[in-house]
Amino acid sequence: MIYDTPKFSPGGDRYILIEFGNEMNLDLNFKGQNLAHALEDGAIEGVIESAPCFATTLVHYEPEIISYNDLKKQLSLLMESLGSSENIEVDSRLFYFPTFYLDPWTEECINDYRKNINGDKEQDPEFVSRINELTDVNQLVRVHSGTEYWAASLGFWPGLAFMMPLDPRCRLTAPKYNPPRTWTPQGAVSMGGMSTAIYPVASPGGYQLFGRTPVPIWDRELRFPEFDGDFCIFRPGDRIKFMPCGLEEYEEIDRKVAEGSYKFNIVDYQKFSVSNYKRWVSTLDTSARF
Amino acid sequence: MFKVIKSGLESSIQDWPGRIGHFNKGFPPSGPMDSWSFRLANLLVGNSSDDAGIECQFIGPELRFLEDSVIAITGADMQPKIDGKPCAMWESILIKTGQTIEMSYATSGARSYLAVAGGLLADVSLGSRATFDAAGIGGVDGHALKDGQEIKSGTHRDRIFGQRLLTESRPKISTNCIWEIEVVAGPNDDWIDQEGHERFLNSEWKVSAKSNRMGMRLEGPDWTFSEKAFTKLPENGSEPANIIDQGYPIGAINLAGQTPIILLNDGPSMGGFINPYTVPQCSMWKLGQARPGEIFEFKVISVSEAQEKARQIKLLCSDKSLVR
Repeated sequence: MIYDTPKFSPGGDRYILIEFGNEMNLDLNFKGQNLAHALEDGAIEGVIESAPCFATTLVHYEPEIISYNDLKKQLSLLMESLGSSENIEVDSRLFYFPTFYLDPWTEECINDYRKNINGDKEQDPEFVSRINELTDVNQLVRVHSGTEYWAASLGFWPGLAFMMPLDPRCRLTAPKYNPPRTWTPQGAVSMGGMSTAIYPVASPGGYQLFGRTPVPIWDRELRFPEFDGDFCIFRPGDRIKFMPCGLEEYEEIDRKVAEGSYKFNIVDYQKFSVSNYKRWVSTLDTSARF
Repeated sequence: MFKVIKSGLESSIQDWPGRIGHFNKGFPPSGPMDSWSFRLANLLVGNSSDDAGIECQFIGPELRFLEDSVIAITGADMQPKIDGKPCAMWESILIKTGQTIEMSYATSGARSYLAVAGGLLADVSLGSRATFDAAGIGGVDGHALKDGQEIKSGTHRDRIFGQRLLTESRPKISTNCIWEIEVVAGPNDDWIDQEGHERFLNSEWKVSAKSNRMGMRLEGPDWTFSEKAFTKLPENGSEPANIIDQGYPIGAINLAGQTPIILLNDGPSMGGFINPYTVPQCSMWKLGQARPGEIFEFKVISVSEAQEKARQIKLLCSDKSLVR
């Protein structure tokens, strides 16, 4: 549900978490992004920065400039002044990501976790398929790659995009690792909760793993023009489509990435219309699966 | 300028408050884990509070100075020596061209700070020189110090050595292996049941060896959850500690399944586990000085109490604490 009035809670002495609702949907994400943009434009003095995610925005503030209670009041007023996201149309780039599903590298990572941390952990592709009542791992690949994903926000690790499936027929859910992994291969394609993510570099993590893309989303050396001078390729509001590929294509792309000649497959002429999207979703049988 | 003879254990260049303003792209602030000791080191040598210095962890480096410099060492006692002779901590000292400062292991506490008058010059990346080693950002070539590197410092107006601090302005590093850590409840405290809160606040928590600048893992009893953790929508993830991915405050006590991990300066900015409590800025220095195996006891304070404590530390890091 979307709350009538947002919920505020403190994160220590310098952060406040604003919760707009307790589910994952586009409206909540737009609320968070709109608030973040207003704060970036300097709407409230004493706010240092903010980090919007699916249903929340975390605000970092300077308590010597604004008190917790005053910040709460000003944030409430600011949110009331921001319009609804109903008729929003935004520029939205579409990225195609060749992805080797059920690949050997994430399998090796899962096996390493099973050996060293939790022997009872079921293989991630089988586990995600089972709890989502899919026939087998091949259907997991069809369902996961059957939709565009919406980059809701960036976080966890530099450049990592938290993505939600736009096609409700491709919604999958999964718990996060307990305890988390100490390492994950770079480029691992993964999910936790209802969110999908690509790991920008080898890092710890808690999402379930079932694929790997050779295409980089983090470019420390600024080698690829598509990053436009940034270390991270994604921006909130981008869309991502995973394209299943085999080992041969994976290795070919991997080689081109290593030599710096890889060309990203990005479409950049479309607008995303919230009302068109909602109209389309309303026509779907959302219980269907691919 | 000095040359790194031995780098020590992941000694790195840091500045304070670090890399601010890029949290929404996933960049943590980095910066010194014990910012209290770090700020005092800069104060002693007459630097401004945002000048870069070195953070030494557990085992310090050996550095040969290639020009006369004024330095100060604060934080954990790593038995620093200049050309083999013990040298003072918490005081600005003159080190001459060709002299070597050698730091050993920390006898108590975990992190020492070394400031050089003029501040260290290193890569400024996204507005800060702080090293975020895991992503290769800031510091020297993005990483911790390596043997053989030469590090330059900025020019300094005057050489102020022999400056000391009022004893009460220094953080008190625990010597009995037990730390009282202040926490503020929230942001996700309503996911824990009453017994869970009592158990957290009345138990001893052991600092795990699996800790670093990203996070500090704690060992202790299991957590129990409120109804909310079981009646939530599936997009949260089915484990009780799973929540729809959200921003993580620095200092958050992040409940990764049943393992609490305190998120530190190089920690993740977002994720899908609940944060029932957050360590406020005034207590973060203790996390920087605690060693694996030591014990934490948590004490709840309010937001305004935490803010007042941070103000007091800030005052202690000002000229008023200097004695000549």
